Amino acid sequence: MTTTVTKLEKLVGKRIKRKEDPRLITGTATYVEDVKLPELLHAAILRSPHGAANIKSIDISKAAALPGVVAVYTGADILGVGSVVCAADLPGLRKPVHHILAQDRTYFVGHAVAVVVAKDRYVAADGVDLIEVDWQPTQAVTDPEKALAAGAPAVHPEWPDNTAFIHNQEGGDMAQAFADAEVVVKQRIVSQRLIPNPMETRGVVADWKQADKAMTIWTSTQIPHLARSILAGQLGLDENRVRLIAPEVGGGFGSKLNVYPEEALMGFVSMKLQKPVKWIESRRENFQTTIHGRGHVDYLEIAAKRDGTILGLKLKLIQDLGAYHQLLTPAIPTLSVLMMPGLYKFRNISAQVIGVFTNAVPTDAYRGAGRPEATHGIERMVDMLAAEIGMDPAEIRYKNFAGKDDFPFLTAAGLTYDSGDYAATLDKALEMIDYKGLREQQVQARAEGKLMGIGISTYGELCGFGPSPATPAGGWESATVKVEPSGKVTVMTGCSPHGQGQETSFAQIAADELGVPLDDVIVLHGDTSIVQYGIGTFGSRNTAVGGAALFYALQDIREKAKRFGAKMLGVEDGEVVLADGHCTDSNGNSVTFQQIAGAAYRGIVIPTGSEPGLVATRFWEPSNFAYPYGAHIIVSEVDKETGQIEIKRYLAVDDIGNIINPLLVDGQLHGGVAQGLGQALWEHGVYDDDGQLVSGTFMDYAMPRARMMPWIESAHTITPSPVNPLGAKGVGEAGTIGSTPAMVNSVVDALAPLGVRHIDMPMTAGKIWKLMQDSSIQEKKA
Amino acid sequence: MIANSFEYSAPGSLKEALALLAEGAKPLAGGMSLIPMMKLRLANPEHLVDIGRLPELNYIREEGGAIHIGAGVTHFEVESSPLLLGKCPLLAETAAYIGDIQVRNRGTLGGSVAHADPSADYPAALHALDAKIVLTSSEGTRTLSTEEFFLDTFTTALDPGEIVSEVIVPVDAGLTGTSYQKFLQPASGFAIVGAAARVRQEGGKFTMVRVGVTGLSGNGYRARNVEDALVGQDVTDANIKAAAALVADGQDASSDLHATAEYRAHLAGAYTARALRAALSRSA
Amino acid sequence: MKIAGTSQLPFPPEKAYDLMQDPAMLALAIPGCNSLEKTGDNEYKLSLKMALASLSGQFEGKVTLTEPNRPYSFKMLVEGTGKIGFVKGEGVIKLSGLGDGISITSAITATGIEFAGDAQIGGSIATVGQRMIDTTSKMMVKQFFKKLEKLGLGAEGTNPEAGGTAGE
Repeated sequence: MTTTVTKLEKLVGKRIKRKEDPRLITGTATYVEDVKLPELLHAAILRSPHGAANIKSIDISKAAALPGVVAVYTGADILGVGSVVCAADLPGLRKPVHHILAQDRTYFVGHAVAVVVAKDRYVAADGVDLIEVDWQPTQAVTDPEKALAAGAPAVHPEWPDNTAFIHNQEGGDMAQAFADAEVVVKQRIVSQRLIPNPMETRGVVADWKQADKAMTIWTSTQIPHLARSILAGQLGLDENRVRLIAPEVGGGFGSKLNVYPEEALMGFVSMKLQKPVKWIESRRENFQTTIHGRGHVDYLEIAAKRDGTILGLKLKLIQDLGAYHQLLTPAIPTLSVLMMPGLYKFRNISAQVIGVFTNAVPTDAYRGAGRPEATHGIERMVDMLAAEIGMDPAEIRYKNFAGKDDFPFLTAAGLTYDSGDYAATLDKALEMIDYKGLREQQVQARAEGKLMGIGISTYGELCGFGPSPATPAGGWESATVKVEPSGKVTVMTGCSPHGQGQETSFAQIAADELGVPLDDVIVLHGDTSIVQYGIGTFGSRNTAVGGAALFYALQDIREKAKRFGAKMLGVEDGEVVLADGHCTDSNGNSVTFQQIAGAAYRGIVIPTGSEPGLVATRFWEPSNFAYPYGAHIIVSEVDKETGQIEIKRYLAVDDIGNIINPLLVDGQLHGGVAQGLGQALWEHGVYDDDGQLVSGTFMDYAMPRARMMPWIESAHTITPSPVNPLGAKGVGEAGTIGSTPAMVNSVVDALAPLGVRHIDMPMTAGKIWKLMQDSSIQEKKA
Repeated sequence: MIANSFEYSAPGSLKEALALLAEGAKPLAGGMSLIPMMKLRLANPEHLVDIGRLPELNYIREEGGAIHIGAGVTHFEVESSPLLLGKCPLLAETAAYIGDIQVRNRGTLGGSVAHADPSADYPAALHALDAKIVLTSSEGTRTLSTEEFFLDTFTTALDPGEIVSEVIVPVDAGLTGTSYQKFLQPASGFAIVGAAARVRQEGGKFTMVRVGVTGLSGNGYRARNVEDALVGQDVTDANIKAAAALVADGQDASSDLHATAEYRAHLAGAYTARALRAALSRSA
Repeated sequence: MKIAGTSQLPFPPEKAYDLMQDPAMLALAIPGCNSLEKTGDNEYKLSLKMALASLSGQFEGKVTLTEPNRPYSFKMLVEGTGKIGFVKGEGVIKLSGLGDGISITSAITATGIEFAGDAQIGGSIATVGQRMIDTTSKMMVKQFFKKLEKLGLGAEGTNPEAGGTAGE
């Protein structure tokens, strides 16, 4: 049975449209809100209108008496439920107990106080309005620096200094670096609070079956298995009797890398009432109660030689934690410390992180989680240093880059960067944008009185989270490949993609390895009853870690298929090759992958030492993080009259290792850049001094719109990661990390002739105008 | 984000609607301002009368040398009306700046005018156009100038039970040039400031100037001081600049999260000058 | 949030001061005020209906007048709480005598008002109303003084003891 085997085209590396999209764009995807169950009850939550207040009393009688209201629970009812979990730990970390409903005091606007359960969501909302709380407002504090000042109101009365932790990290010899320095540049840099705003808000459905002692929870999460373990603990249930389903999840950006009070609360309500119950977060609640990102005040000092050689970087980082720790709150700023050195080879760092409680919703992981803040810090400081010594910003970067022969490269912060050629990426970016020509144009523009700026950011990123010892709950990932008797393939990944597109990219990988059509592969995720334990989706890890686990499971399938194929062809195991969907022996005889699958389940002929079926599961532990990097360049012009910033060109050259699907990569980069520019130019989560969130709706919180985006020119260099078999690094956060410093560097460069050295984000037109006013006044005085 | 319960009526005729309004019901047109407030329970009307679907309020027609626009016409219809684009392009241009396409597809001219949001776009254009606002109730109809109609922040001359039923704008002679220039608040898309200009020139001199401003203070206004400074003067950029610089005089400039009073006042001058220049370039 | 501004009343400071200390007059002048009842020394219970654009809400609270220094200044504290949020404002109101503006020796016929203070706004209205708070508070202050002016002038005719008609 000699057959002609047609060579199949490789799918990995191709721009393939997402398999997910048909259901998304036809409105047939199932989100938590779409889960409908018989006798489903609906919950609404009463929240604190005060930044800080004592609850003198709560009267629920009117709410409870409202027709249609089934139950009302307050803080006194939920003491049997475990408090909200923080998985991060640091020496001496103060962890306030975060009950799922407030007890006698509320700590931030939006803090959950009571839950009304009713026959429909309208009655539930009416019930909330009927709860009477006797509030005694107390003084709030929302600015982390003010919270550290003597005499500031205590967020938690037991810790009057508002300090949750102080974390120090040193590398090299800082004293020597500063002693050797010929120039030291200092700057306070703020990375403002941001509100993640995924398109889908949070939502939970909990369904308790008393007879089985079994709970099913649908929740909009990035970490279904971890959430299940935590919720089982909070509710005192057996982990194997809790089924957690992350259905379609409409974005998270880190904000759903968490387990929130409402998840255990709905579990509690369902157990109490023996009925399923649903809670859907409103957009206003999302603004107020889902974690925020960033919230840094950084004091940076960079020491260098006059020739541009950086000697060391000192950082005091004040992290606005909010009132509580959510899942990873205290860990986020420690990631900033790890990424402080950027792409540079200097050996000395010194960092102190002060975690500060404030009367605000907790901060936690938001796209980039600690790395954008670090990159912003180092890339701003390098530009300021260049300006100080009169060096070109590109040149100073070349001078300090780790060289391509330095890998694996041990940084001053103790990380080992896997691979890279930073100079080559910057070369490509400078060439693409014609840097030399641009600088000439700039001279011309300045002569004409125009404020033209060129901003470079060469960012590095720590992703592919990560080696288990370096993560709070394990950093490995799992994959199961199940080949059906027909040869159709089901991949089950422990990742929980929610917009990243792994249903497509993982199918590409599987299709290539097994030689089956793309449409023969489906990818399942997010249901703990279907998928083996996994870690989830965050930290640009899906491909680099989850994809690697998948790759190894596919190799197991291949091996087993080859043994079956050899048996079917009547040759020895080692005498066949599996390629292009066929197992072929040295004589050119072959069987198809589908025939093998059928035989494996039919079980008539079983290879010695093998067994029926064609299923493989792998748990893969990465030996290191992966470290993508890139160079982003922004050409901007500032309107002298209004301060408005126009982006003339945006160029991103990213090295994210091997690329599985360039279309997905473009999408990730564009979205990341949008969020990064959002931070640089518009977005700001603002609390007033009393703890009111004044940027509490889209009327005041400026999310970037399509019309506000520049055209993004994108290119890549490819330096495969040696850490995983795919050579992939990660792209989920790259755009966010590279864009903010490029934007600020560009505008500072534009305003440099006016003597401007630094601008804090967001660089609103009004802020730029004021800066120009002030510096022109200074000029006139001088 | 769930409104309190309320009664909803969708009468088939204006007469019926006015009768319900006379009994104390609140009018609902496109709902672009009212519904969000209701969902946040900041507005809790007991009875809404939907006037947004009344055919009697849905027209754009030329009549007696002016264009009459029914209050129920949507912003998108204003923006895309061939009649307005040809004969009163300022109003169409202004409408195109409102919110986003979803808002423009639902929001109505009459609803926006009656709401009198201090940052809304229309008041600037209507002041510059010497527009007339027609008010109707079960008692009858009256017609006011824009300055008589827009009284203060969210405050108009509308009496209880009365609605804006029509807006009348002039058919401008071909020699008139107009422009609306807006500095957008990046979150909401409302005007931080918006300036509408309408000018005519003859023999190198300004013969007619109208300037309407929104966003700067608590109420849109007609900047008569700018107009007076230009009429009869030579058409020069220096004159435009000098006149535009007067635009914030006597106004109590607003301050919020997005712009200080000082910045708003500066922008008002800058955008008035831009509007005047653009209008001039479109005048014969 | 800082609130500050100036206003003028067309009668002398003594009269303006007394009007602003008179709960009956305050009740009429405070926009939307339903009632103002005396509950203690210089303390009054306030019930107010705020209606602005589509927004409307009932507020219950109190008004406290302290640091009296007739006719130069006093301090006013207004607190209100309702379903849609809460408001707390505290400020000093300063009065000064104004003449006819022609000669410095002319009799004082009008009052210059200067106010400065802090306002806190919380709850739903704070979250959604950022761009309206400044314009709205200014308008309410304006309405307050306009009404006060009317009340003062209206009382003019019925009070023979009052001085000559102010500045007209």
